[in-house]
Order: sequence, then structure tokens, then C-alpha cells
Amino acid sequence: MKRVWHLVKKELWQVTRDPNMLRVIFVVPMIQLLVLGYAITTDIKNLDILICDQDDSAVSRNLVERFSHNEYLTVKPLPCRAGQIEQHIFRGDVLLALVIPEHFGRDLENRESPEIQILLDGQNSNTTAVALGYCNRILLEFVRDNLAAAAGRNPRLARSIRFIEPVSRTWYNPELKSVYYMIPGIISILLTIITMLLTGLAIVKEREIGTLDQLLVTPLSSWQIIAGKTIPFAFLGFLEMGFAMTFGVLWFKVPIVGSLPLLAVLAAVFILTTLGLGIFVSTMVDTQQQALFMAWFFLVSFVLLSGFFYPIENMPGWVQVITYINPLRYFIEILRELFLKGAGLSVLWPELLSLLTIGVSIFTLATVRFARRAAA
Amino acid sequence: MHRPDHQQPLPTEYAVTVRNLTRRFGDFVAVDDISFDVRKGEIFGFLGANGAGKTTTIKMLTGLLRPSSGRGTVGGLDIIRGHNAIKTRIGYMSQKFSLYEDLKVEENLFFFGGIYGLDREAINTRMKELDTILHLSEIRKRRTDSLPLGYKQRLALACAILHRPPILFLDEPTGGVDPIARRYFWDLISAMTAEGRTVFVTTHYMDEAEYCHRLSIMYKGRIVEIDSPAAIKQKYNLPSIQDAFIHLVDR
Amino acid sequence: MIKSLFIHLAVKEFIHIRRDPRSLLILLLMPLFMMFVFGYAINMDLKHIRLGVCDLNRTPVSRDLIQTLVASPYFDVIQRFDDPRLTEGLFRQRLVRAAVIIPADFARRLAGSQGATIGVITDGTDANSATLTQNYLESLFLSRSLSGDGMGLPIHIKTRIFYNPDMESAHFVVPGIVALLLIMIGALLTSVTIAREKETGTMEQILVSPIRPYEVILGKALPYLVLAFAIAVFIIVFGHLWFAVPMLGSWTWLMLFCLLYLFTALTIGLLISTLVSTQQVAMMLSLVATLLPSVMLSGFIFPIASMPRPLQVVSQIIPATHFLKIIRGIMLKGNGPLELWPSIAALTAVGLFFITLAIWRFQLKLK
Repeated sequence: MKRVWHLVKKELWQVTRDPNMLRVIFVVPMIQLLVLGYAITTDIKNLDILICDQDDSAVSRNLVERFSHNEYLTVKPLPCRAGQIEQHIFRGDVLLALVIPEHFGRDLENRESPEIQILLDGQNSNTTAVALGYCNRILLEFVRDNLAAAAGRNPRLARSIRFIEPVSRTWYNPELKSVYYMIPGIISILLTIITMLLTGLAIVKEREIGTLDQLLVTPLSSWQIIAGKTIPFAFLGFLEMGFAMTFGVLWFKVPIVGSLPLLAVLAAVFILTTLGLGIFVSTMVDTQQQALFMAWFFLVSFVLLSGFFYPIENMPGWVQVITYINPLRYFIEILRELFLKGAGLSVLWPELLSLLTIGVSIFTLATVRFARRAAA
Repeated sequence: MHRPDHQQPLPTEYAVTVRNLTRRFGDFVAVDDISFDVRKGEIFGFLGANGAGKTTTIKMLTGLLRPSSGRGTVGGLDIIRGHNAIKTRIGYMSQKFSLYEDLKVEENLFFFGGIYGLDREAINTRMKELDTILHLSEIRKRRTDSLPLGYKQRLALACAILHRPPILFLDEPTGGVDPIARRYFWDLISAMTAEGRTVFVTTHYMDEAEYCHRLSIMYKGRIVEIDSPAAIKQKYNLPSIQDAFIHLVDR
Repeated sequence: MIKSLFIHLAVKEFIHIRRDPRSLLILLLMPLFMMFVFGYAINMDLKHIRLGVCDLNRTPVSRDLIQTLVASPYFDVIQRFDDPRLTEGLFRQRLVRAAVIIPADFARRLAGSQGATIGVITDGTDANSATLTQNYLESLFLSRSLSGDGMGLPIHIKTRIFYNPDMESAHFVVPGIVALLLIMIGALLTSVTIAREKETGTMEQILVSPIRPYEVILGKALPYLVLAFAIAVFIIVFGHLWFAVPMLGSWTWLMLFCLLYLFTALTIGLLISTLVSTQQVAMMLSLVATLLPSVMLSGFIFPIASMPRPLQVVSQIIPATHFLKIIRGIMLKGNGPLELWPSIAALTAVGLFFITLAIWRFQLKLK
């Protein structure tokens, strides 16, 4: 164990002696946390809309008013004669346009079902879908209020309408702050970068400059070398996570409802998987450049298939199957549930079990490969 | 204190001339006000412990580093104003044998010859020429990372002299190489000066110092002695350069 | 003669690339895999939201309402329960993402003139999905109450979607991936390859030769420019053929702007290489400087208009922001330079900004 400690010390020296490395490990992530914490209010808002009110009646103006006072949409004052609407969308001046036809107010009064047109730029289909949702919502509310007013004057109409009024509550995050769920995601990505990438690179670098051979001729076993190479990065990872969490709690006021010791245990299991992957990558490659490419590949796939940006439920079945071997998927889930809901082991055991299975398999596989390569 | 006279032109009959050259890194003075001349066709040795300022001096002469103050010429050209023109007249071999390990021997030669403006034919001719002394043709298709250190050293030398530079800078060229290869390497260097080439070499091996025509001993950024090996030994009445070196450094 | 010295450097760089088939393979396969998976996987339009329904009313009216939920493609009603106190447990066990609670007096109040209330609870752990879910449910109830008794909605909403009428997410993901990969490959390869020469000392060997610094940069950048460009063409053509991403604009313009974008990526790589001395740090810096910002701040996923004002400013110096407008505009809308010139100018400006910074750093170092 003492021998391993020497290795650990050496590794920590190497990392901390390089001021650039320290900056990359601690300062850059903080900036990212700060910037991205603000950036990813994933609520889609301030979308540019063009409204063509061809009716210009009291009723239609009321509708325009509702669009103007919506925080999700920004009404752009642009001319909209025939043919110009498409041109505005083509040039990207607006994302969508609403056309209120002539005699809209009169037709609505006479219950003649006037036709409202919504034209959308479908390039970013996600944003488009959300924007369409906003429009529908505003139109429905407009119709409801309009009907309610009409029903007040017309008892026969009142009997035929049945209003269902939803009363909505959001639990665990009543203000629907995206930052609450983004911070855990960013923390797990940072942790992956530090543990997987740095471990892999550190081993390959030693192989490149020949010091790995130097280590292999010492009485150290493969296990000891691996322990010596991974413990420092696990330590750095924990440090970074603590750092980022403190920052998230103090700056973004992210609540941590759950138990911190449990979080530490779960993080340790997660780190086991990423360290194992780091070693695995190092046994697959010869140069730092290759190690980086592989680690990068894993990283990007992990992030995009983790449910961080996109709900896993929406992915096609075969992609969902792939996500089962993605450790980040489980860890992000763990962080969110633990931070916001205070979930305990009774809830999170499936994640723990999955992570443990992945971690032990990959770590064993990597160590065996490492030992075999050392012997060859 | 001696003040440098900027009006007076530096002598041009020497291969290298240095006057009051100084380089600071923050508070640390790596090279401290040194002056010397290197004659054409001689092997000029820079002897000193690690960190004495040898490499820093070479870097200033080859244009890799700007001097903090002082002047110098290489091949008659000013090291500050003429550093681009100097580049075609010098060869440089660093202590790391800077070669591309994943390239074949000939690819390294083609590359380094190429960036000196030689075409493939000229490089081939030159390789044949050099083959009589360097014996690289039998390994020209091998990858550099598979070569023993002695071969890498010879390859690095070949890369440095492909373009027939009149002045050759060798920064600890024999580091890590076995004694037989080292001996052989010095024979090569002697052969090169016979062609009229000037060799500027740094070393911390005392036995190698004996091969130099003239020697300058550096200590903590300053030149503490400069003369031929024989004259130095005679001056201090000591049997070897090693003894003289220890004597000078211990003062 | 001297002018073509950089060719030797470029040739050498190509040999490096060829000698390392594994890196080349990863570089070619990875984008393919990414596009393949993400073309299918990235879809923010929520479907199959796990829903719990607590029906305290148990009348034909309430059952009819539940039937509407069951029929909706957005929701999977996977839990029905009778005790509202169970809701909390369902959320904790992560069995449901949202719950609808129909109060006991639902049918009676609906028949009256006041209208009936209905409870909607969402799990805010994933704020994004929660917002969407809430919106879906509320809209569903609204439209149902307005079109009750078979009257139909009193207005007719007609929707026309341009440029991607089927709302295929691949159509916006493919250009996004092109933007992401090019910036990463460009910046990463350049910074790492220069850092490698610094590490091994060969950079010094090159700098003592008559080759000029700009030739060094040109010679080192050119091969990776070619490589990254090849990858770009490969991905775009693949996305065009496999995912049927349309190509309404001109190929020539697109290729030209790809090159411009790559140039900017390379300038970032150069800047990074002047800041670091080891491959490791170069890699880390390139990764953090390109990956997250290009995904999150460029409009790849989240519209820039939705960001807070300071970040909108930041997004303007991210090359991907401008390139995305260009590539999406050309491919999906058939835009040309006439419509895209602000983005083109901005991209050029960003490239010039980074190269100026890199040169300034480089000179600073020589002194």
C-alpha cells in the first residue's frame, strides 16, 4: 500500500505542478458552470413572431394583445402585405407568423369558424413544436374567454359549454427552474472528463515517454500501478465535484435535499466506471492523440444519450437499449433525484446496481487488458 | 565595468562573434554578459554543468530566443536583425535528437531537407554522400522509433547537415549514447571540420572536451575560462580538463 | 523555392495521419455513428409521458375524460389510483412523471354553470419536460372543454410549416452535428499536433530552419483542413442521402462556407496551442472550449433568443452560432449569400479575431 501511495503522490505532483492543468481542471469548469447555468434555461422563449391582423377589429386586436403580452413570444413590427410573410420567414426575420383573416371578429361572433393561419419555420423542429404549442395555447385561451363572455349574454350557449379548469402544481421544483436540473448534469459531465479522460491520458503519456516500462520493472503489480494511477484522479474528481456543488448551492441556490454521504458513495461507484473506461481506453491505443479521440467519442455519446438534453423515453427502442450501458445516464438520474427529491437508497438501488455492474465489469476488463499488455 | 561600444562594428572574419550577451528569465540571469569569438573551421566547445547557460546561449545564436541585451554575429550576420538569413547557414542538433518517431528514416531526411529548400534529388545525392560516414542507407526504410539510440543520433546529425551548413550547432549531441558510439561521433565531427566547417558544441562530458580545438568553460551564466585544452591544463598546471574544471568551479 | 517550403510540412503531416490508421478510423467512424444515433435519438417533442390518474369522481363523464388521455399519443396512463395521498409515493418511485386528479364533484360541477376544476401535478426534477407536460395537459383540457358536445372549436386553426414540414428532427440535428464535429476536429487536431511538436522538441528543430512561422502554421494546418473538410463532406452527403435532409441551396456555397468555418476552428486551435505546452492540456482546453459552448450556446439545441442578454453576446463569438445559421439556411431554406451575409461577415470577423489574438500571443512568447 505504501508503494501505491508513492505513485499517487507522484501523480498529484505532476498534475498540480502544471499551472495550466490546474486552470483547466478548476477555473474553466467554474466558468462553464456559471455560463451554462444561465444559458440553459431550456424554456424556449423570446421567439420572434410576425402578426398580420387583416381584420383590425376590437376582437382581433384583443387577440394580438394576448400575443404581445406573452413572455415566450416577441411580436416583431414588420410589414406583411401579400407574399411578404414567406419572405420574412425565408430570411429568418421571424420564426413564425400568425395571420388573422378579414372579418375575423364578425365571423367569430356569428360562430362561422373563421380560419386562423400559423406559418412556421420548421428548421429546428423542436423549437417549432414548442412555438406551435404556445400559439395553440394562447388561441385556446382566447376562445375560452370569448365563449365565456358570449355565454354570459346567451343562456342557451352557456348550457352547452362545459369548462374544465386545470389547476396545475409542480412538485420538487415549483418555479420550474432549469438550472436545478442542469447543474447536476454539468457536474456529472465534468466528473467524467476528469476521471475518464485524464486517467486515460496519464497512462498513455507514461507509455509514450517510456516511464510506464520503468514502473513495470519495479515490484509493483498491475493492480498497484492501476491503483496508483486512478486514486489521484478519483481524488481530483471528488474535489471538483465538491467544488462545483458548493458553487451550485451558493450561487444558483440549487437545493440538496438528499443525503450527502449517500451521494458520496454513489459518486464513488460512478467514478469506478469512468476510471475503468479511462484505463480501458489506454489499453486500446498507442498515443495520447488516439486516447483523446476515443475518450472524446465516449464522452459525447454518453452526454447526448444520457437524458441530459433529450428525454430517453423519446428515443427509438434500439437507442434506448444502448443507453442502458451508459453510466452517465444513471448518475444524472441519481443526482437529480437526490438533489431535488431527496431520494434514498430505497429508490435509487436500481441505478446503484446498474452502475456497480458496469463499473466492476469494465474495471476488471480494463485491468486484465492492462496486465496482458504489460506482460506482452 | 566594461561598457559595450555600439559604434564599433563587430569583426566579421569569425564564424561566431559574441559581445556582452545577456539573457534574463525574470530575476534569473541565465547568461550573464559573455563575449567570445569562434574561428572558422574550428571545433569550439562549451563546457559546463547542467544549467550553466550553454543551451540558452545556443538558442540565442540560432534565433530561438531573443537576447535581453548584447550583440552577436553568426556567419557574419547579426543575430537580431539577420536571424532569418542566419537560418540557411547553420545546422542545429538538439540534445533530444528531435526526430519524428513515427516517420521512416528517409522520410525524416526528406522532411528536414525539404524545409531547408532542398529537392528530393538533391537530398538523395546528399544522402549517398553522407552514407560513407553515416551508414544510414541500410536503415532508410525503417521507422525511427525502432532504431537504437546511436542510429537516432546519427540520423539527427544527418538531418542537421543535409543542407551543408558552414556552421553547425550541437547541443549535448552525445547524451545517453554508449562510449563507442560517442567516440565514433567525435570522429565524424573532426572529419567535418576538415571540410572547413565550424562546429559549435556544448557538452558536460570532460573527456569530450579534449577533442575541442578551443574550449570555453561556463559557470553560472559566465565564461570563467576560454582557451585551448592544452593551454588551460598548462595554465593551472593540472593533468586533465576535469581537474581544471573542478578547480575553476570550486573557486 | 522558399515559398513552397510549407508543402514539406504538409506532406510530413499527411504521413503522420497515414501512420496512425486508428485515429483516422475513429475520426471517420465517430461522426457516422453520432449522426446515425442522434439523427434518431434527439427529439424534444415529448411522447409517452408516464401519467398517473386518480379518479375520485368515477362517473361516465370522468371515465370519458380519462379515455381522452389514454388515446393521446403524448401520454401513457400507467397508473390508476383512488387515493390522492398515493401521488407522492408514485413520484418518489419514479413511476409517473405527471398526475391528473379528478375531484369527486367533477361531473356535478361540470354540469353547472361554474365549470369544474381538475388537478394537474408534474415532477419538476426535469424542469424542461415538466413545462412541456403541463402545457400538453392544460391544452388538452382546454380544447376538450371548448369543443364539448360535438360543436367543434369555434375557430379553425390552420398550420403551415415551412422548410421541414414533417418536423423531422434529423433535419436540424445533421447540420448541428456537422457544426459540432468540424469545430472540435479543427481546433483539437491543430492544437494537439502543434503541442506534440513542442513536447518532442521537433518544433525547435523546425524553427531554426529557414521556414517562416506563417509557413509552419500553413503547413501544419493544411492537412487537417483537408481531413476535416473530407469528414464534413462525408457527413453532409450521408445525412442528405440517409436522413433525406434536403439540400435546397447551392453545394458550392455550402462547401465554401464550410472552409471558412474550418478556418475559424483552426484559428481557435492555433490560439490554444500558443497557450499550452503539452498535448494533455491542449486536449483538455480544446474540449472544454469547443464541446459544451458549441452544443449549448450556438443555437444547436436551444434558441439563442431565449438566453439571457449577456449570453447572447457570448454566443456571438462562438463560430458555431454563425455557421449553424449558414448551413441550416442553405440546406433547409435554400438561402444564398444575399440572405446570409450577416452570418458570413460575423464568422469571418470571429476568425480574424482569433487569429489576431493567436499572432499576438505568439509574438509575446518570442520576447
